[in-house]
Amino acid sequence: MVSKEIKDKILRLKEKYPRKESALMPAMMLAQKANGNYLSKDDMDEISKIIGVTSGKAYGVATYYTMYNTRKVGKYHLQVDTNIPATLMGAGDILNFLKKELGISPGETTDDGQFTLNEVECLASCGTCPVIQVNDVYYENMTIEKTKTLLDSLKKGVMPESKTEYNWGSECNVLLKNRGTANSTAIEVYKNNGGYKALEKALGMEPQAIINEVKASAIRGRGGAGFPAGVKWGFLAKGTGKPVYLICNADEGEPGTFKDRQIMEYDPHLLIEGMTISAYALGAKLAFIYIRGEFDWIADILDKAIDEAKADGKLKDLDIIVHRGAGAYVCGEETALIESIEGKRGQPRMKPPFPAVEGLYGCPTIVNNVETLASVPFIIEKGAEEFRKWGYENNTGCKLFGISGNVNKPGVYEFPMGVPFKKLLETAGGAKGNIKGVIVGGLSVPILKADELEGLNMDYDSCIKKGTMLGSGGVMVINDEFSIPELAYRTIRFYAHESCGKCTPCKEGSHTIVRILGKLLKGQGTQIDLDNMMRILASVNEGGSTLCPTGQAFAMPIKAMYEKFTDEFKKLIK
Amino acid sequence: MKITINGNTIEAKEGQTILQAALANGIYIPHLCYHEKVGAAGKCRACVVEVEGMRGLQTSCSVQLRDGMVINSVSQNVVNAQKLVIDLMLSSGTHDCLACEQNGNCELQDAAYFLGIERASVQYGEIDREFDTSSEFIYVERNKCISCGRCVAACNNTVVNQVLDFGHRGHHTEIVFDTDLPMGESSCVQCGECSQMCPVGAIVDRNAIGKGRTWELKKVETVCPYCGVGCKLELHVDERTNKIVKVKGVEDAPTNNGMLCVKGRYGFDFVGHPERLTTPLIKENGEFREASWEEAIELVATKLSGIKEQYGPDTIMALASAKVTNEENYTFQKLIRAAIGTNNIDHCARL
Repeated sequence: MVSKEIKDKILRLKEKYPRKESALMPAMMLAQKANGNYLSKDDMDEISKIIGVTSGKAYGVATYYTMYNTRKVGKYHLQVDTNIPATLMGAGDILNFLKKELGISPGETTDDGQFTLNEVECLASCGTCPVIQVNDVYYENMTIEKTKTLLDSLKKGVMPESKTEYNWGSECNVLLKNRGTANSTAIEVYKNNGGYKALEKALGMEPQAIINEVKASAIRGRGGAGFPAGVKWGFLAKGTGKPVYLICNADEGEPGTFKDRQIMEYDPHLLIEGMTISAYALGAKLAFIYIRGEFDWIADILDKAIDEAKADGKLKDLDIIVHRGAGAYVCGEETALIESIEGKRGQPRMKPPFPAVEGLYGCPTIVNNVETLASVPFIIEKGAEEFRKWGYENNTGCKLFGISGNVNKPGVYEFPMGVPFKKLLETAGGAKGNIKGVIVGGLSVPILKADELEGLNMDYDSCIKKGTMLGSGGVMVINDEFSIPELAYRTIRFYAHESCGKCTPCKEGSHTIVRILGKLLKGQGTQIDLDNMMRILASVNEGGSTLCPTGQAFAMPIKAMYEKFTDEFKKLIK
Repeated sequence: MKITINGNTIEAKEGQTILQAALANGIYIPHLCYHEKVGAAGKCRACVVEVEGMRGLQTSCSVQLRDGMVINSVSQNVVNAQKLVIDLMLSSGTHDCLACEQNGNCELQDAAYFLGIERASVQYGEIDREFDTSSEFIYVERNKCISCGRCVAACNNTVVNQVLDFGHRGHHTEIVFDTDLPMGESSCVQCGECSQMCPVGAIVDRNAIGKGRTWELKKVETVCPYCGVGCKLELHVDERTNKIVKVKGVEDAPTNNGMLCVKGRYGFDFVGHPERLTTPLIKENGEFREASWEEAIELVATKLSGIKEQYGPDTIMALASAKVTNEENYTFQKLIRAAIGTNNIDHCARL
């Protein structure tokens, strides 16, 4: 039963968006929170009627995103991230400890209804792993000792305060320039440090001049694909008579990536300033920040900062809506993200048309990553030339690198593009143990063996030369205590879990490889199984075999793991 | 315009996709999620081809033709990708053709046959999805579903009944009715469009199960007897028993585009029903007896004329039927107005 209070809130949500369907996801989350963290079929049905969509649509959305609990959960829902960075940093021990302490397996609830345990995919806490998410709160840098204390507190009915110590550093002072300042999220603090000056300058420029400056900076999209942002802006359809939308992609779901949250959590006005300048340049009057749902508290910080900026007259005629995702890796893909804002299952669309021509609500739309948009104020204030002084042609500017796994000081570090890998590793306190391999650009890129790291510079083209990709700049260091087939198995489980299910090669290909590697690790695998796996990977790796690039993302990393560490796989054959 | 497919130059029409032009010219490219009625979805990836000047594989269902386009649908790369799709589909469901209703009329079977796939080369999953037998006329076997989405698109966009959707995701994706209710308890009106659109044996007409495979049944096109819309039907008749086994809508019919309602598609049991009236009956002394049409019409004409003469034409009223054509209804009202002489005529569709 949806209460009158929730119903009224849903009706207000409907008004907030250009189209009512967009209110479906936040509406169902409201109902879930009001009902002991459980979303019942009756509530889905009722909400679908309030919003004006079919009940099948509501059910489809509720079961697509992992954060909707369509089965009852305990008072405390403990979610342990066991993705690759977390596994490398000891999440397995934490999960086993919780299993033992609570006497339940992942997916189960204790008899007294107090605790539900779940294993979840990357929570973008790679630098502060292991992490346990309890209901909406992250508890990071967990140890067995800390987990014990947490459990004791929860058993007494108290959610302890969550405090996280991050490692960070900045050589460029652009994206992390306010990171160490006290109360850095307040607009006054931001302005005192020179904030919103770029916006002032931008408003005195012609929109096209801003676009030209961003083009001249040669900044490439920081989300992972590395497409030049200025060129993307240039594709925006003009004179369509339709509104233009700007969307900030804050889905940050690529395992190994935890950089955007640093900007949003500690310097939200930098992002808002970047978005306001970009929206002015593109002619957008409404912008969205699509933030992964697990970052609930960061979304609150953004909401507050937007209100401050509005009250201070900074947004002019722009409005920014913070739209929370609900647990789907694929929503980092721009068309899936757009579908999600439209209140649908976040599945990629066929391209063309590209979003710049037909995006959100069928209107011209630009989707840029947080880091890209947060770089815009610097580019406008100091000029493209100043941005290009870092790096070299086609690989320009400052870049955030998240480094996790087996290093002594995992964290986020801002360096000029092209920083030597060696220097990055040193900054992160060096490796723990002997390096076996490193994944340098988020989980979807090919692994490099220790000997391939020699002379590696961290930029787009240098990484390509080494047979891998810079991606999102999420670096995961793996030492020789870890088995590559086991990591490959965990990797493919991630992709199978996150497959949207729209196209066959991704949906069934990833699932089949989970089976193959699972069989191999049980000691029941054969060479035929491995041949089958490689045949699937080769075919999926072929451009265009899947509906979207995310669909084939599993092919490269698994293929590279097998090809570079074949012996480890063959040893497991029965 | 002219295009080249696999070295053959063919004539194609402006606005066609590669797949449409290929099929129109007798060139088969495997395809499962595409259906003319619901359009391209780019989901199954079985229809991928190579196009000169375009990077990577392209879904032929979605790429619009350009004059002079050079297409290859049989290169090693293409065949590998197509085979993988079909292989994965076969491995992820219970696609045992032998007792399947769709045997001989299955697009997955067609694709497997074309690509020379005898059976799935990978079979790693246990497949244990539930059967849904809750609906009176439609049987759903999710184990055979390939998530092509044609039923979902048709239910929502073609017939706009808005019952079907996709639930869950990834390998666990499945079609659901409303909030995952059994089909028979959902808001489904059993129009059967989903069964008409299903390329495999996942959604089939329940009452036809086991009553004859497609090649054993004679296809007879006719017009639906229920209402004046005049939907075009294709009756599947077992000639040995002279019984209608199932009814399909005719896809290219201008009246109904293959769509039917529950009556037209599933309400044909009256045809061979023992209680069906096959001759006129005249009641005498409280008992019906069989009569010829001549005798019956003669009797009605006499009685009506008598009533008209004795009490006046306005004591007679007539009710026309929605089950006959406009022309027949026109003739009927003419009879009542001109021959009987009253305006007391109405039509059941107004009730």
